Amino acid sequence: MDLAWSAKDLEFRDEVRAFLDDKLTPELRRAGRLMTSVYADHEASMAWQAILNERGWAAPAWPIEYGGCDWTLTQHYIFSRESTLADAPSLSPMGIRMVAHAIVAFGTPEQKDFFLPRILTGEVFFCQGYSEPEAGSDLAALSMAAVDDGDDLVITGSKIWTTHAGEANWIFALVRTSRSAKKQHGITFVLIDMTTPGIEIRPLVMTSGETVQNQIFFDAVRVPKANVLGAIDDGWTVAKYLLEFERGGGAMAPALQVMAESIAEAAIHQPGPKGGVLLDDPAFAAKLADVRIRADVLEILEYRVLAVVAEGGNPGADSSMLKILSTELSQAVTELAMEAAGPRGRVYQPHATMPGGPVSAFAPPTDGYVSGEPWQAVAPLRYFNDRAGSIYAGSNEIQRNILAKATLGL
Amino acid sequence: MDFTLSGEQELLREGLSKFLAARYDLESSRAAAKTGPGWQPDIWRGFAEELGILGATLPESVGGSGGGSAEAMVIAEELGRALAIEPFVDTVIVAGGLLSRAGGDAAAAVLEEIAAGSAIVALAATEPRSGEHWEAIASSAVRDGDHWVLNGTKTVVVSAPLATHLLIVARTGESVDSQAMSLFLTAFDAANPPAGLTVHGYRTIDDRRAADLIFDDVRLPADALLQTDAWPSLALARDEGAAAVCAEAVGAMRKVLADTVDYSKQRQQFGQPIGNFQVLQHRMVDMYMELEQAVSAAYLAVLNLDAEPDVRARAASAAKATVGRAARFIGQNAVQLHGGMGMTEELAIGHYFKRLTALQYEFGSTDYHRARYATLTRPTN
Repeated sequence: MDLAWSAKDLEFRDEVRAFLDDKLTPELRRAGRLMTSVYADHEASMAWQAILNERGWAAPAWPIEYGGCDWTLTQHYIFSRESTLADAPSLSPMGIRMVAHAIVAFGTPEQKDFFLPRILTGEVFFCQGYSEPEAGSDLAALSMAAVDDGDDLVITGSKIWTTHAGEANWIFALVRTSRSAKKQHGITFVLIDMTTPGIEIRPLVMTSGETVQNQIFFDAVRVPKANVLGAIDDGWTVAKYLLEFERGGGAMAPALQVMAESIAEAAIHQPGPKGGVLLDDPAFAAKLADVRIRADVLEILEYRVLAVVAEGGNPGADSSMLKILSTELSQAVTELAMEAAGPRGRVYQPHATMPGGPVSAFAPPTDGYVSGEPWQAVAPLRYFNDRAGSIYAGSNEIQRNILAKATLGL
Repeated sequence: MDFTLSGEQELLREGLSKFLAARYDLESSRAAAKTGPGWQPDIWRGFAEELGILGATLPESVGGSGGGSAEAMVIAEELGRALAIEPFVDTVIVAGGLLSRAGGDAAAAVLEEIAAGSAIVALAATEPRSGEHWEAIASSAVRDGDHWVLNGTKTVVVSAPLATHLLIVARTGESVDSQAMSLFLTAFDAANPPAGLTVHGYRTIDDRRAADLIFDDVRLPADALLQTDAWPSLALARDEGAAAVCAEAVGAMRKVLADTVDYSKQRQQFGQPIGNFQVLQHRMVDMYMELEQAVSAAYLAVLNLDAEPDVRARAASAAKATVGRAARFIGQNAVQLHGGMGMTEELAIGHYFKRLTALQYEFGSTDYHRARYATLTRPTN
C-alpha cells in the first residue's frame, strides 16, 4: 500500500504538463475554464480531441490494440487532474467513454474496424438513445419499435434527453424488437446513422437557456441488421455493460478537487456576509472544507474501484455508489460556487461563458459588458445544469435501489 | 395569537388571486422577460387601477390605503404563486417604505406616483466590494456648490432598467460602517442617464431586469439629498424586503409542492405512479414540512416588522434563513422528482426553480442571516 507518487509518476506528470502547456491554446483553455456543464463547447471539444489523438491520448482507457494507453491507474489519474488544472475542455463521453467499450466487448470485427478508429478521429460522433418520454428511470419499459424486414430493422418511436443530437452523425439506441413477460428481454442495441431518412430532432431549452438536450423522432427509419451490436433481443446485456462505464467509468474526483480549489481562490476576493473576506467567513470556510474533504476521500474511493477494473474485474454496483457520491458532491460544489458568486450570481450573462450548446432567447450586450468575473457568470448556469447529475444515467434513487439489492442483499 | 386574515385582507387576497388566475400567464410573462421590455405595463396598471395593491401599504395622504405588513404579506404571497416578474417588492415595499420614512414633498410626490402605478423605483445600494454587507458601502457624494457629486459602482440594482426613479445610497462623510450614509432621490431613465452615469442593464437568472450603475462625477442638484443618517431606515427597508420575499417564496413553494405531488400521481414508471414509491413519498413529506416551517417563518418576520430594531432583525433573519433553506430543498427536489422535464423551460417547475434559487440571495443570503442571527442572540458575558 502506498499513496505516494513514484519518480516515474512524477516524470509522467511533467510529460503531461509539457504537452498541455504546448498544445492548449488560449481559446481551448477558455472553453475548458468556462464550461457550464459537463459538456464543453462542441467545436473546442472536437479540436482538443484531434490534438489528443495525434499524441495517442484521446482514449487512454481503451485496450492498447485499439489505440488505448498502457497507463497505470495513477497515470490515468494524473492525466485527468493535469488536464483539468490546465483548463482543457472535456471530451464528449458518448463515443470514447461509452459506446466504444461496448463495441470492443460485443462488436463484430467489421464494427470494430469501422467505428473505433473513426470515434478516435471524431469522424464518427455518437449520441445516446436510451430514455423515452415514458421510459426514464424504468428504462426497460422502452417501446421504440424495431420491426424485422429482411436485412433491415424498421424503427419508429421517440427518444429523449439526447445530448448533442444535432452535432452527432451516429446514435446508439435501444429498441424494442419483441415483447415478452420479462421486459428486459426483446430489447436490441442498434447503431443508427443519423443521416438516415425519417429522423427529426426537436431541441429542448433547459433552465440555463441552453439547447444541449433534444428529443428525437424516428419515423420508419431503416437500419441494416449489420448495425446491431450483440444479439437481437439481447441488447439489455450490452446496455448494462455500458451503463457501468457511464456511471463509474471515469475519475470525477480530480475535476471536483480543481473546482473546489478555484472556489477557494475566488473567495479570497469576495466580500463576506459580515464584512471582511468571504474565505474567512466561518460558515463558508466550513462548507468549503467539507466539499474538499469529500473530494479527497472520493479520490481514494475511485482508486479502489478502478483498481478492480484494472485487474479485469467489473465494478458492478460500486459504480452506482461512485455515481451517487460524485454527482451529489458536484452539486454541493456548484451550490457553493453560487454562494461565492454573491449578488452577481444572479446576473444572466451566458455570453461570458462557453456553454455546451446554443443559448436561446438571449441577445448579448453590444459592448460585451460582463458584471463581475466570468466565473460568476458560469456559477448559476453550472448550478442549474448540474441538477441533471442526480437524474441522468439512472436517477440517484434508482442507484440506491441497485446498491440496496446488489450490495446489501436487501 | 391570531393568524387569520381580516375581512378586508381576505378580500384583498381573493381579488388579487382572481386577477392573477385570469390575467397572469406564465408564458406571456416569460416572453416579456426574455424578449420584451422586462415587465408587463398593462398588468402593473391593473395592479394600480383595478386592484389598488400598489398603494395598499402606502399612507392615505399619498393616495394609498394605509395598510401594513400583513397586507404586504398577502400581496407578495399571491405574486409569488403566480411567479410575477413585476417589481412590487422593490418599488412598493422597499422604496415605498424608504420614501415614506424620509418624508418631504419630493418623496410624497413619488409615493403618489407609485400608488397610481406611474413610478418604478429602484434602490441602488449593493456594491461589488460591499456584497450584502451594506455597512461597507463606499460610494461617495461630495457637495460642490449647488450640486452633489456622486462616485462609485452599484451592482445588481434590481428594476433599474425599468425605473422612473433611483434611490441611491452614498456616503456624505468620512466615517465608516453605518454612519454618514445618505439617501439620494433622482428621476431616472436607463436609456438616457445623466452625464457621468454608465448603465449596464441585463436580465437576471429569475427573469427580472437589473443593472450595474457606474457613477463617475455624476452631478445631482442639492435637493436630491433625501435623507442623511439613513441607516436605520435602510436597515428596516432590508428587513421589510426580506419579509416580503419570504412571503413571495411561500406562494411559489406552495405552487411547486402542489405541482410535484400532482406529477408524482400522474407519472407512471415500473407499472405504477411514481408517487407510490416510499422514498419519494418521504421526500415530498419533507418538502411539505419545509414549506410549513417557511410559512411560520414568514409570519415570524412579518409580525415583528414594527418591533424595536433588534427584535425585528432577529425575526427577519430567522425567517430569511429558514425560507432560504426551504427554497433550496423544495426547489431542488421538485426538479429531481420531475426528472429531466424539471430542468427544461417547458414546464412551470423550471421557472419557479430559478426564482427559488435567486431569492435565497435577495435581501441577505441564508448564511448572512444565520450570521446576523448569531450576533443578535449572542449572550453578553
